Amino acid sequence: MSQYYDIDDIIAEDELVPAVFQVSANGVGLFDSSDETNKVEQGSKVELPFWLARELHLRQAVSINLPHCFNQKTREELAADAAHVDLRNRCPYFYELGRKLFTLVGDKTIGTLLLAAFQTRYREVLIKAQTAALAVAPKFLTLLTKEETKLYEAAQSSMVAFKKWRMGGPRFQKASVLGRKRRPFE
Amino acid sequence: MATQSDPHASEFSAAELEFLAEDEMIEIVPNMRMETLNLICGDFGPFHPQIATQVPLWLAVALKKRGKCTIRPPEWMSVEKLTQVLEAERDSQKTFQPLPFHYVEISRLLFDHARDDIPDIYMVRSLIEDIKDVRFHKIGTGLEVISQRTAALKLEHLTAMEVNIVRPFVVRALQAFYKLDSPEMIQESDLRANRRFPTANHGPKRQLKR
Amino acid sequence: MYAKKACELVKEFSSSEPGQLAPFNTNLFSQVIEECNFHFHQLQSLLSKIQEGPDSQTKNADHFGALIHHLSLVRNKRCLMAYVHNRAEVIRSLGWMIEPPLPEEIQEKLSSSEKEYSKNQSATIKSYQSEMDLDLAVDMVPPKDPYIKVRVLDDIGSVALSDQIANLARHAILFLRRTDAETYISQGLMEELTD
Repeated sequence: MSQYYDIDDIIAEDELVPAVFQVSANGVGLFDSSDETNKVEQGSKVELPFWLARELHLRQAVSINLPHCFNQKTREELAADAAHVDLRNRCPYFYELGRKLFTLVGDKTIGTLLLAAFQTRYREVLIKAQTAALAVAPKFLTLLTKEETKLYEAAQSSMVAFKKWRMGGPRFQKASVLGRKRRPFE
Repeated sequence: MATQSDPHASEFSAAELEFLAEDEMIEIVPNMRMETLNLICGDFGPFHPQIATQVPLWLAVALKKRGKCTIRPPEWMSVEKLTQVLEAERDSQKTFQPLPFHYVEISRLLFDHARDDIPDIYMVRSLIEDIKDVRFHKIGTGLEVISQRTAALKLEHLTAMEVNIVRPFVVRALQAFYKLDSPEMIQESDLRANRRFPTANHGPKRQLKR
Repeated sequence: MYAKKACELVKEFSSSEPGQLAPFNTNLFSQVIEECNFHFHQLQSLLSKIQEGPDSQTKNADHFGALIHHLSLVRNKRCLMAYVHNRAEVIRSLGWMIEPPLPEEIQEKLSSSEKEYSKNQSATIKSYQSEMDLDLAVDMVPPKDPYIKVRVLDDIGSVALSDQIANLARHAILFLRRTDAETYISQGLMEELTD
């Protein structure tokens, strides 16, 4: 319940998961079908957002498969050079989705995959966050998942705040929500 | 700990740490006569010209600003002591030298307000800067050991500002590892057989210090 | 795909800078409500079809159709709730940063119920403060000297401050009680000067 309002959790559950309908369902215009029947036939292969796939799977209405981001190719790339795989492009919620799917699909290797990937990439994020200082390494950032980006920002922002304090200057500032550019006079 | 600029920040702001550091005691030499100050936090004074006395840093700075005293920099802020510390910091890859918990804040306050009271100020300043850099580098390499086995980090002799800077990152990283390493996710046998990127495993608690 | 728009709404919130507020997306919001109504009607008609059917107990295609509409409703609801809830959190934090009432540039980003919420919240804080005789909005940054040097950025006019009556004309540089200056600074009407 604590996650109910969690923005990232909601967006993560919007990721598409390949599924096969084990039953048919009436009156659902889920997919662009040319006919007007609005019926999903048993055996239809579709991509469903995770929030729908999970519930239907729990009621044995669909069987689900792992999305592309967990396919063999990605796994091999991760094993070869985890730090430089573009995970954001594959799935910005790689870890979250992986954890959610893990309990459903029963693929025991996912857990190990996620952990090993994060282990290596964590170290890279740490090193980049320290060395890049203020000049961000833009190329590297585009490879990161949402969680990794937040980790990077956590490291960066506290360092920036510290440097700002050391520079000195005004202690009181205009509230950040008020437009920054606009000043009452120029 | 919420601040004006970021009400959701979980860490202290640097200004808040500075505020805490201002409670540290420091020696001053007054040039005026004043009765004892009976404050909530304690009694300070009486103040006599040329007779050294101990006051909290905030009071020292306030008096100094008004030209009522000179501040005696703490013992650790001498070129000799700081050189020793810097060498020791460089000699050991893992351990940190014991420094006052608020050394970053105190030194900044004194540099700002009591420049003329610190002998060899340029040397002192650059030594503290170097010490800070060496220590940060060590913290960085120390954090690389965080892994799925890490339940907590022990960082001996880290100071307030240093802890505060790495806190958001460390907390988030530990959380991420904790989530990914839940027993349902990883079977122990599975881990051993299938581990792709082997790392040394030192049991449940990793220590940054040896 | 069902509940796509609702998720767009959530994504829109997510992409705004933390602590900042984008205009309330009335258009998209009402489109999602519309979709909810659609799901509700579909759900109802499928349910009545099931009840009229020969065996309402077995799970047939109508049952699963109804299920999908039900799940979509729940999902849409969660997205709408999260959108409103997280915006309310931001608005609540604004109450501490800016002296009420909120300036026009922020007011126009709020929906009417959000305006009401913000008004009630600041009224609650105000009544609590006057009861406790305590101004909770000052010293958000740890205090240093009781007086600070400021430059006035706008013609504020003659104002009764806690220790003096000051003419706050644009460009004027003066020493003010920190507690007096703080709200003006957070509103962007003054800036602190440091040596």
